[in-house]
Amino acid sequence: MMTRRSLLQTAGQGFGALALSSLEAAEGLHPSATVRPRAKRVVQLFMGGAASHIDLFDYKPALIKHHGEPSDFGEPVEAFQNGLGPWKRPVWDFQQYGQCGKHLSDIVAPLASCVDDMAFIHNLVGKTGVHSQGTLLQATGFNLPGFPGMGAWVSYGLGSLSDNLPTFVVLPDHRGFASNGPKNWDSAFLPSQHAGTVIYPGAETPIADLFPGKAGAYITRDSDATGLRVLQQLNGRHAAPRLDDGRLDARIRSYELAAKMQLAAPEALDFSKEPQHIKEMYGIRDDKRVWPTEINAEEEADYMGRKCLAARRLLERGVRFVQIWSGNDNGFPRRNWDSHEDVERDHGPLAWGMAKAAAALIQDLKQRGLLEDTIILWTTEFGRMPSTQGGKGRDHNPYVFTNWLCGGGIRGGTTHGESDQWGYKPLDRDNPTMVYDIHATMLHLLGIDHTKLTVRHNGIDRRLTDVHGHLIREILA
Amino acid sequence: MNNARCILSMALWGGLPMVGSAGAPVDFVREVRPLFEQHCVKCHGPEKQRGGLRLDVKKAALAGGEEHGPDIIPGDSERSPLVRLIESPDADHRMPKNGPALSGEATALIKRWINEGAVWPDSADATRLGDAADWWSLRPLRKPPVPTPAAGSLRNPVDAFVLERLKKEGLAPGPEADRRTLIRRLSFDLLGLPPSPEAVAAFVDDPDPLAYERMVDRFLESPRYGERWARHWLDVVHYGETHGYDKDKPRPNAWPYRDYVIRSFNEDKPYARFVREQIAGDVLYPGTVDGIVALGFVAAGPWDYIGHAEVPETKTDGKVARHLDRDDMVQNTVGTFCSLTVQCAQCHNHKFDPISMRDYYSLQAVFAAVDRADKPYFEDADLTKRYVTLQWRQKVLSQSLKTLEDEAVKRAGPALAALETRIANAAKAVRGNGVPESGYHSAIAPSPDVEKWVQLDLGRSVQLGEILLAPCYDDYAGIGGGFGFPRRFKIEVGDDPEFRSNLSGLVQLSQEDVPNPGTRPQTFDARGKKGRYLRVTALKLAERKNDFIFALAEIRVSDADGKTASSGAVVTSLDSIESGPRWARKNLLDGHYPGLLSGAKGPENLAGLRADREKMLAAALSGDQRKSLAQVREELTEVAASLGTFPKPNLVYAATVHYGSGAFSGTGPNGGKPREIHMLKRGDVKSTGDLVDPGAVTELGNLFDLPAHFELPAGAGEEARRAALANWIADKKNPLTWRSIVNRVWQYHFGKAMVDTSNDFGRMGGLPSHPELLDWLAATFRDDFEGSWKKLHRLIVTSQTYCQTSLETAGQEAALRGDADNRLLWRQNRRKLEAEAVHDAILQVSGKLRDEMGGPSYQDFVIEKPEHSPHYEYQLHDPEDPACHRRSIYRFIVRSQQQPFMTTMDCADPSMRVDKRNESISPLQALSMMNNDLTVSMAKHFAERVEAESADLESRVARAFELALGRSPAAEERQALADYAANQGLANACRLILNLNEFSFVD
Repeated sequence: MMTRRSLLQTAGQGFGALALSSLEAAEGLHPSATVRPRAKRVVQLFMGGAASHIDLFDYKPALIKHHGEPSDFGEPVEAFQNGLGPWKRPVWDFQQYGQCGKHLSDIVAPLASCVDDMAFIHNLVGKTGVHSQGTLLQATGFNLPGFPGMGAWVSYGLGSLSDNLPTFVVLPDHRGFASNGPKNWDSAFLPSQHAGTVIYPGAETPIADLFPGKAGAYITRDSDATGLRVLQQLNGRHAAPRLDDGRLDARIRSYELAAKMQLAAPEALDFSKEPQHIKEMYGIRDDKRVWPTEINAEEEADYMGRKCLAARRLLERGVRFVQIWSGNDNGFPRRNWDSHEDVERDHGPLAWGMAKAAAALIQDLKQRGLLEDTIILWTTEFGRMPSTQGGKGRDHNPYVFTNWLCGGGIRGGTTHGESDQWGYKPLDRDNPTMVYDIHATMLHLLGIDHTKLTVRHNGIDRRLTDVHGHLIREILA
Repeated sequence: MNNARCILSMALWGGLPMVGSAGAPVDFVREVRPLFEQHCVKCHGPEKQRGGLRLDVKKAALAGGEEHGPDIIPGDSERSPLVRLIESPDADHRMPKNGPALSGEATALIKRWINEGAVWPDSADATRLGDAADWWSLRPLRKPPVPTPAAGSLRNPVDAFVLERLKKEGLAPGPEADRRTLIRRLSFDLLGLPPSPEAVAAFVDDPDPLAYERMVDRFLESPRYGERWARHWLDVVHYGETHGYDKDKPRPNAWPYRDYVIRSFNEDKPYARFVREQIAGDVLYPGTVDGIVALGFVAAGPWDYIGHAEVPETKTDGKVARHLDRDDMVQNTVGTFCSLTVQCAQCHNHKFDPISMRDYYSLQAVFAAVDRADKPYFEDADLTKRYVTLQWRQKVLSQSLKTLEDEAVKRAGPALAALETRIANAAKAVRGNGVPESGYHSAIAPSPDVEKWVQLDLGRSVQLGEILLAPCYDDYAGIGGGFGFPRRFKIEVGDDPEFRSNLSGLVQLSQEDVPNPGTRPQTFDARGKKGRYLRVTALKLAERKNDFIFALAEIRVSDADGKTASSGAVVTSLDSIESGPRWARKNLLDGHYPGLLSGAKGPENLAGLRADREKMLAAALSGDQRKSLAQVREELTEVAASLGTFPKPNLVYAATVHYGSGAFSGTGPNGGKPREIHMLKRGDVKSTGDLVDPGAVTELGNLFDLPAHFELPAGAGEEARRAALANWIADKKNPLTWRSIVNRVWQYHFGKAMVDTSNDFGRMGGLPSHPELLDWLAATFRDDFEGSWKKLHRLIVTSQTYCQTSLETAGQEAALRGDADNRLLWRQNRRKLEAEAVHDAILQVSGKLRDEMGGPSYQDFVIEKPEHSPHYEYQLHDPEDPACHRRSIYRFIVRSQQQPFMTTMDCADPSMRVDKRNESISPLQALSMMNNDLTVSMAKHFAERVEAESADLESRVARAFELALGRSPAAEERQALADYAANQGLANACRLILNLNEFSFVD
């Protein structure tokens, strides 16, 4: 039947599947791993709801100059909700920072000390202004469901760095999922163990099924420990006449790895030994138990800080890909970046909290020497319009938005690609950046040729970058 | 060919093409083709076909690209786009795009060649496209002769084909598995459930040599069979019960399609009919329920709610959403039934299979009129038709009414507008308070007999005159006036705030249910009563929507002198929903209530205003228009009355001509006229090309003698398109359809298909391991079995090939070395159970599985925030809820947030068309099997069951072992489990058994 080796490749376990990687890590690499890797790990920060590039990172003095004047895009604009109002200046002032002199909005000023490590791309374009499609496009490379998340591809291509923690971890906004929910980190046609494992740091049940729930009062550590020995004894008996079936042995070992994960995961999520100054750096407020009902910056920093600190701890312990979400679905009151009504009210706290926590993560990784082989990507489904939509909010802008990257193999202090004077479309409309280019570049830094990491599905060799993708050499160190 | 190549290289060798003399005709091979080779084929050749054009193949070159039609028009270089492009003065448009322009000499040569008729000798078609027909899956389906292998164990022709092939490789099949193995294998395969220990014993001891065959028949007659095999089908068609994407709303009426599939399997519906029903059952089998609910197939996949319901078709984003929607319908239909990847021809002609871009858009045109929506239906098709027509008539009439009224409004001018404002204000006053503060609203009670009270403290003891209670108005659940007004109540006054004993203070006590007062204020004579406190107690609550409440808009107390005594009173109540301005205790004293404005002045006034309006409108319209208006109104009344006589229609979420409004209007309002489908350059909705007609795949039509161009009668409705496609697919002459389905069935029986890409029989797919067997089965299924699933199953599972052991046996080392994947079937494959089989088996062995069939799906989650993006909270679900102890085919399948346990166990993702499930093994799976609420709670029931069925610990663990694995434990196994149970309890031992490898694998 299946040898372990053939199992690895044909039963679709992936090429560094958790259960097997520690044994065959070297030969388990996907054939696409042909590039010298500059990074091993990824943190993807995803702002659900569409963060405004022009209020945070993409400085547009023309908007300040023409604030309040009737907007004129020079062409008919198809907005998602109708009724574009006058030009609207950035809600916050911009200052220049660092050696590179990058302009940052005051609301993300905590990132000021990191700008010389960051590379900004201001000419990203999407496909549509629909949240679900936009989110899927940035998360999976396709604007329809049914495709693996980027983390799943990386897990499939590179495998695990640890045999007791998942390879791809997702830290959702604790208030709910963004558009499409788990479809954004699905394994789709890749084996299920490459799907993102959802973790809620600090929650009563941070990882589903890591331990039995309330119904399992009859289960103890001791019953599980002895149980595992009996289980393996009986499984061994069953496997003896079936030695040529590698799956049976793989499943036996999966129970041993599960037991290891039961020890490792709680330790990774335990902040109690983190010094106070580190927690403060991330904006974590252990002293605050009750928060105001209105959205506020300190609370957002606390939430985001906990996710970023958990991310650092998970990365240190061998998790390869951490996806952190800011913002839930489009319910009310808004707890996401979809500021149709009031950019200042909703973007303000989210942006400051994100900046505080993200800056801490960058600095903390740097001081531990981990930033040099960890890529951080900040993204969102699309941008927001340079005009109002009548009131204090901005409509969707899939025509241009911003990403930034930082860390392993990224040239800091750079800006690549500009938007036009309003931040409405790319300055050079014929040469925009697309998510495929971002993904191709990140895979390249991870040592993967994006055109070679493919899986045949329903007659097509599928890859993260579809049939597109160019390396953005300008941001490579 | 070699010759042509030779000449070609010689020409290139010379560096410059030789220019023919003016007298002789241009020689394509020597003069023109070198130019193409040098300047064009890099982008328009075998590697790339920019703009769909390639200039290295005659047929392709003369047919032309996507953007200009034929680029070469023989005889007319002036009109040939190719010439325009190479001569363009605009550098941005000129070809070659990234190279120097062609010399004047070269251009002149090409022009002359075209003017001379663009003669391109067939012999010089150097790189001819492969023959489209030259592919195994496209060849006509004929039944090959059954081989007669010299020796070996043959039960039926299946074995003959398999054995013949094994012998050719010098291999031999394995021996037959023992009966214990066979019954467990067959039971999981046909029913998806483990056999009971009693059934195992009976089969093992059955002396009848045909015991196995009788068991096969028994299993195929079991309703569990349809439940098992329907799940395979639902994988392929990506059936789900929520929309997917953002705002992943439930589809509460999707399940009738799932029941249809189960029913079709259990009734052994002929496959051709099964195919036809799912694409066009409404047309081809009118008057049947199956013909309608089968259309759930077309609607099975995901749907972008925002892209349809919030973005109209006129916007780009709306166009993209609808393009993706039709694409899903096309993929689902052609992929499921024909195993073709037509979606690859969306941006360019299919690179490997004979499917053109035009074919792809023709297929989209088949579905151009339908949308995914709830489709009303009755068992009687005529009734359905009348109902839908009436509903539509109602919409049309309402539209006409609106048009006429709009016209009148336009003509009547500002005077009418002013009057409308007055009417609106008056109506609002009659209905509601005219202010946002509605009144007091109690907490919600589950039944009407919960007592609730609200009380005023007047501050001092007052000699009373009259008490007024004003009902609320609220549109919730269509209630309107009298919202929350108690059906029975009492009013008491007194000086004891607790009203412990104060019968003398009773003002009012209703003995019977009071009629709903609407918005009329109710007054009660309280003369002679005195007290500081007044309490209104609801004795029987008003119904809201499946729950009960107490609400009042106002309480006003007048003293004996008629003066208001309640202003400034303190309001208390048993409970209250304090919600924004609308609902608050203090609203009871705010002086606003619906009845206030509808007193003497209100309704009459409103009626009068409305009469004025009628007059004004009538005056504004012409005589004819007035007549039309009257007619429309009369007919609307009639239609409403007719609709009232219909029973409530059934609903199924299916492909339907949708009569909607707003952004998601569907084609119903246009009389079901199909949307125009254009070719889209590079699949981009902004680059529309030719308008296309509905049709199937042209080249295949030629090959199969099944015209792909549907000759539809003029004025044919959209349904004719679907019927034509259904017939094209289900035709006996379409070999793909029959090969595809037997390959799928084979795959589910053996865990591996003969063609391992069940959804792709094209050139990118796999080759059949047993081509003759596949064809023999397909032809037998089509012709001899007339599409009977059950006959096909019986044939396969009674074969020696199926009944082989899965164990490696002595003498098979060569097979293991040469064919480790067992492509040639020298043994049976060991199967890892699918998510559903694991789930159902856990419930069954625990004694909890209920065999209730059909109907709405069970939901093993709690929905939070349903009004926006529903959150499907699985962890809030109670695993003890018996509603969920059904087979997992009846699980409500959510797309965005899939069931975590089932997903970890590799269940099908309803957003993808799954021809073959992933099979993974991971620590996360181990954790789920150990710790998920399902196993943890069911292990307890498993333990309770064996405790009740056996006397002592050893026999209990043995019983559990037999229930789960279909065999008795060996002494060592029994001992180990008994020891463990003794130390850690029987529930832990049962949980351990559910986690054994043997529980999850079938030999």
